[in-house]
This record gives sequence, structure tokens and C-alpha cells, in this order.
Amino acid sequence: MRKQLSSEHLTALLQALIAAGTRVVGPRRVAGILLYEPLITPDELVLDELPRRSVKEAFFPVCEDLLAYEKQGQQLTLQDVDPASFPQTVLVGVRPCDAAAIPVLDAVFSWDYKDQFFLERRARTTIISLACTSADDACFCTAVGLAPDEPRGADLMLTPLEDGGYLAESHSEKGEALLEAHAGLFSEPGAVQPLPLAQPQTLSFDLKKIKAWLDEHFEDESWDGIATRCVGCGSCAFVCPACHCFDIVDEGSEKSGKRRKFWDACGFWKFTHHASGHNPRDFQPKRYRNRIMHKFKYYDDKFGQTLCTGCGRCVRLCPVGIDIAGVLEEIEKKANE
Amino acid sequence: MHHAKPKHEFEPKIIAFVCTWCTYAGADLAGTSRMQYPANVRLVKFPCTGRIDPVFILKAFQQGADGVLVSGCHPGDCHYMAGNFHARRRFAAFRKLLEFIGVDLQRLQFSWVSAAEAGKWVEVVTELTERVRAMGPMREFKDLALEEQWSGSLTTPELQEAYEAI
Amino acid sequence: MTTEIIYSAVGEAIRTEAERVLADGTVAAVVGYTMARRKGSAQPVVLTKPEEANQLIFSAACVNNLAVYLTKAKKELPREGRIGIVVKSCDLKALVGLLGESQLKRDSLYIIGVPCVGVLGSTLQPSVELNAETVADKCRECDDRMPQGADFVPTVALPASPALEKKYAVEIARLEAMTPAERWSYWQEQFSKCIKCYACRQVCPFCFCEQCLCDRNKPQMVEGTPRPAGNLAWHLVRAMHLAGRCAGCAECERVCPMDIPLNLLNRKMSRELKELFHSEAGFEVREKGPLAEYNEQDDQSFIK
Repeated sequence: MRKQLSSEHLTALLQALIAAGTRVVGPRRVAGILLYEPLITPDELVLDELPRRSVKEAFFPVCEDLLAYEKQGQQLTLQDVDPASFPQTVLVGVRPCDAAAIPVLDAVFSWDYKDQFFLERRARTTIISLACTSADDACFCTAVGLAPDEPRGADLMLTPLEDGGYLAESHSEKGEALLEAHAGLFSEPGAVQPLPLAQPQTLSFDLKKIKAWLDEHFEDESWDGIATRCVGCGSCAFVCPACHCFDIVDEGSEKSGKRRKFWDACGFWKFTHHASGHNPRDFQPKRYRNRIMHKFKYYDDKFGQTLCTGCGRCVRLCPVGIDIAGVLEEIEKKANE
Repeated sequence: MHHAKPKHEFEPKIIAFVCTWCTYAGADLAGTSRMQYPANVRLVKFPCTGRIDPVFILKAFQQGADGVLVSGCHPGDCHYMAGNFHARRRFAAFRKLLEFIGVDLQRLQFSWVSAAEAGKWVEVVTELTERVRAMGPMREFKDLALEEQWSGSLTTPELQEAYEAI
Repeated sequence: MTTEIIYSAVGEAIRTEAERVLADGTVAAVVGYTMARRKGSAQPVVLTKPEEANQLIFSAACVNNLAVYLTKAKKELPREGRIGIVVKSCDLKALVGLLGESQLKRDSLYIIGVPCVGVLGSTLQPSVELNAETVADKCRECDDRMPQGADFVPTVALPASPALEKKYAVEIARLEAMTPAERWSYWQEQFSKCIKCYACRQVCPFCFCEQCLCDRNKPQMVEGTPRPAGNLAWHLVRAMHLAGRCAGCAECERVCPMDIPLNLLNRKMSRELKELFHSEAGFEVREKGPLAEYNEQDDQSFIK
């Protein structure tokens, strides 16, 4: 379905959703940075900037409780989290590079083990994405096969129009349901002119060729050159819309406490540190190699797609200037040799 | 004869980190001398004030302390010669840090109490307990311990409800 | 002279010197900066051959404190032979601290100092021009722009430092004027953004512990999960462990992907220690920092 939505009506739509008790999450400024956060009023929404963290936390929170335990005398009580209590949510203003990562996460969290926490949140969420009209030189969505108006992952996609307002296109049943439920706010599209889309400078990678090189070069001295500078923080993985590693830990005392699931990153030394003291990835380049391998080989082997949407967050935020697009360029060059 | 125990609305939890050589012995002397002091204080014994890491104080507040006391030997009397001199510097710095992030320093007391100063121990503990009682419960750290990082901040009633249901 | 002209002369001199010391065997490797893919961007690089020296650059985007690569937390560098390192004066202060803490030996270093007129505060957009708005906050308060005691410093005349508002001083004063409750809520909002990526720890030259207290779980002194309680504890422990050691390279603050003003804590502690114990980090190689030594006459007015 294809409709038109004025800016005022977008505000009215969000207002109506919030009033109806739906949790509306969109880019909002928090202590100086833009994050996908629950909106209290629609005017908190900021749409002209890529949020600092990706939208994955709407389904895969930075940290969440899995269960609580309490011991009284010999009596141990366990309390599960009831995923049915997760609220109905509408995500708004999601960048296409963030939205496209959601199916990537879906594949992992519904693979051999069905992650209830992720899937329940996912089932209760409708995603309104926003076509992207500005890119910088860290953006490379087109290079990994996506586009600034990529609808993948979106239930409803808004495209900003030249004369203000948006074109709204549904891409799923959830999107259609949202259009129908608020039909009064949408109008039939006239002869509209969309704003020019963003133009990332890096236009394409031959991902097949890159994968073929990775298939053959687990051991290769160029990894040292690429990643000696890596200092081993989790910045790249945590701002990535598609990285999904987590750790589980029990916190509390012997009397009471909680089991929690929280973000982890393959760049950390501790990530593969065994209880025996042995660490198979004992050297930072090995850890960085895993990052590249997982994104462009292992995930592809398993699910037939790439674990990167070209949002460029890791490029902008790496403390030591490691540029994943630059690394891919280098690998492609080697593959062509 | 014991005095009738006065009833209070709020009984603060006070954690005291003490060194085993001076203050612990001083507190012990207060006990064996049958001196009365508020039962609000829970003692944790260390070999020396030099072993008391600032993170212990944080942990105490996080786990529900309303006030914290750190006490050891008088300068010059340290069993290990200089442990308390090091502690003095460390806590002078740590106080400034706590103050800067917004902790009311009235809840944190440092003292030197020797093995002979049972009276001073009673005085220090009573004064801190009454001061913290007047201030009311230490909310900040407890609230933090309860707060969840659950997909952003807990700002909507629905989120709050979902959390409470957990 | 503009920044570009100064830095291009500096870059030229660094390349020549690096090539010389690599060629004549003075050093086994040089840690410096090189260009990255994005326009204007730079990244750390480790070079071992004289013919690679032409990769070295210096620009306002050369923000990293390379001293971190020399610590035992980083095991990727060659361990044998002398290492050449490119440092700004703020980075040099970290080296001085590491020498004092017996983490490095002076004769195993070949220090290439950079006459500096400031670097960018953020490299989100590395191609922006260096000016009063984009310059790093640490550079606004810097008054030693010529590294002292380096083995080589390019001969470049620096213009007089412009008088810029000292942002840390202003911000610390603003926070100090608040009530404790206001300060608490300010820091809670800042710390609530923390995702425990530990970028602040990993880039810090002084966080060289083989195993961080905060990575340990037996006993678990600091909650490892990125929740409000653990975040606060982590940042306090970090500030405390750096007190008296941090010389203000502000890398923690620059790399924080969540823009938490971490250096405010470090600057505040540095100021307090200067006031309490008349001690400042980074100026001389000393065996003990202010929190590792004592004076019998230290103030104890806060102790009963």
C-alpha cells in the first residue's frame, strides 16, 4: 500500500499511538547524543541524524534480566521473566541501514535455539523506517548491497518529499495494519517528488570475491598489518546494528540475585578466554580477524547474507581509526591479485 | 539497669570498615566494658586501613548501607608502620571524587580509634548513626541498584509495568 | 603560518627522521600515524622498514596517544630493540608516567616529539578544519606545546597560543556550584549511556593491568553488566585508579562512543591532588605518585 503522510500527521500518528498506550521508540537526544529511546512526546523525535547506537537494542537490550532467584533458608525461589509483559512497540525514524540489520538478527535468534526474549519483542514491534537523505564518507550501505531507500526489515517506510511530508509505503502486514488503523491520517499520494537520496561514496564491494579470499586466508600475515593497531575495546561491536554476541552472568549474593544477558564483543580479550587459562585468540589481530570472518564469511556460510549493513558507525567511532570499508577494499585488492 | 530503648522511625544501616589492631580492639573494649552504642553498626574487620579499597565503600552503599565509617590506628601507631598514612591520602582523594559525583559526604566518616579508646568508638558511632538517622535513608545507590538498563530508560508507564511484572 | 603548513613541515621531518633511525638500526620499529581511507583521517601504524617511513604523516586528525602501544597491555608490538614513537607533548606526559612506574625504560625508547598547535576534539568527521570550535578541549588548556626531553623534535616555529576558554575549568566550576543532588543526577544521566565497551580503558596508557579488577568475578567488586549501578562503580574505580597518574591526554573522553565527559573526572581529581598534595602528573619521572607515597603532616581535618 502506498500513501502520503504530512509532517503534522506524522506527529498526530505518534501522538495517537502514545495516547493509546503503545511504546513509541525513536531517535531522541539523551545527554548530548542521539539514541533510539522511548518518546514521551512526539516532538522529542530527531530525524536528521543517524543515532549513535543502532536500533538493535529495541529487541536485544544492552542488558536484560533473564530470571531472578531468592533463597530463604533451604527454599530457593526462581522467577522467570514473562515475555508476555513486553509492551507493544512502534519504532519510528529507523534508518534503512538499521532496519536491514533486523532480519539479520532474526536469522540468528530464531535459528537452532528460539530466543524468546528477542522474538517476543520482535513480534510486538512495528518498524517505521525513514529513507536516508544524507550520507558521509563513512557510509557504505550501497557497497554491501543495500540502498538509502532499502525497505528490508521495515514494516512501513517513509520517504521524505521535496515539499515536506512523506510517502508511506507498507512492506508487511504489520505495516498495512498500521496504515489501516490510522487511515484518517494518511492520504492518497499525489504527484510527489521525493527528496534526493543519500549518496554514499563507496559504491560497491564484490562480496563474493571477498568471501572467496576469506575462505582461503584464515592464516594470512596481512591480518597483523590490519589489526596490530586494534586496542581491543567493544566499541565497534556495540554500535553495530548487526553484531549480536552476548554474555550471561549471575549477579547478586547467595541470598538473592539475577541472571542477566548483556552485550559482549569478540574484540575483548576475555571473549575467548577459557577457564583453563588458555586463550585460542590470544593476540589482537586474531580477534579482529574473527570480526571480519564472522561478518563476511561465517554468517554468509550459515545464512547466505552479510553481517554488515554499511551504516559506518564502527568507522566513525573506532578509537584507533580502523575502517572496515578500508579493510574490505584491501581484501578485495588482494583477492584481485 | 538498661535504659528503655528509644523507638525510631528509621534505623540506618551503618557499615564500619575497621583495622583489626586498633579500632576493632577499641570496639571490643567498648563491648567488654558494657558501654552502650547504637546496634546499627556492622563491623567488617581488615588487617589495616591500608587494605580498605575505596570500592568497598561503594559496594557497601550499593548493598544498602545508609552510612559508612572507616576507622583505624592513629597516625604513627600503624601495626604495619604506614598503612594508615597511605589510607589517609587515598580517602582524602576518594572523598573529593564522591563529592564531585554528588554523594553527600555527611554519610561517610573517617576516624582514628585506638585499642584503648572505647569511649571514642562509642562517640564516633553514636554521632554518625544519629546524623545519618536525621538524614534519612540513602536512596541514591539503592535506586541505582534497582534501575535496569532495559532498552533505554524506564520512562513510560508500560515499561515500568513490564518491569514490575518481572 | 597556518596549521596545515606547520603540520606538513612536521610530517616531513618525522618521515626523514624515522627513515634515518630505521635505516641505521637505532630503532627496531617506529610507532606513528598514517593516512586512512576517509578524507583527512589518520590511524596509528607500526613500521619496521626504512622504506615504509614515507607512510608517516602528522595532521590535526592525529589524535591518538600512541604511548598505549608501548604498555604491557598491548602485546602486538615487537618486544626487542628500541622503539621509536611519535608523541605530542600531552602523550609525552604519559610516557613520563610510564617511565616512573617502571613500565618502560628510557633507553629503549626513541622519542620523536611533535611541535603541536592542537588536534581535533572528535574524529567523527576527520576532514573538518582545526579551529577554535573543533580543537580538542585538552588543547585549550595546554601550555606546553613543545615536547620537552624528546630525542628529536622538528625545528618549527609555533605561533603564539590563542587565548581560548578553558572548558574543563569552566565545566568543573559549573558542577561544583551545583547541589549534591544535581551533580548526582548529572552524572547518572551521563553514566546511563555507558555500554561498557571499555574503550576508555583500552586506550588509556595507564590501564595496563593484565587483568582489570572490573573483569574479575571472584570476588566481583564491580558489576560487569552495563547497568546503572555497575556503570557508576566502573567510572569511579577508573577515576580513582588514575588519580595522581593521569596526565590529561583525554583519550578516554575522545574515544567514548557515548560522549561521556570522562576527562572531567580525571581533571577534577588532578586538581584536587595538586591542591592536597602539591603533586602533578607527567612533568618528571618519579618513582611514586601522590597516592603511592605519604607525608606524616598530610591534612587530616576530615578524620575524627
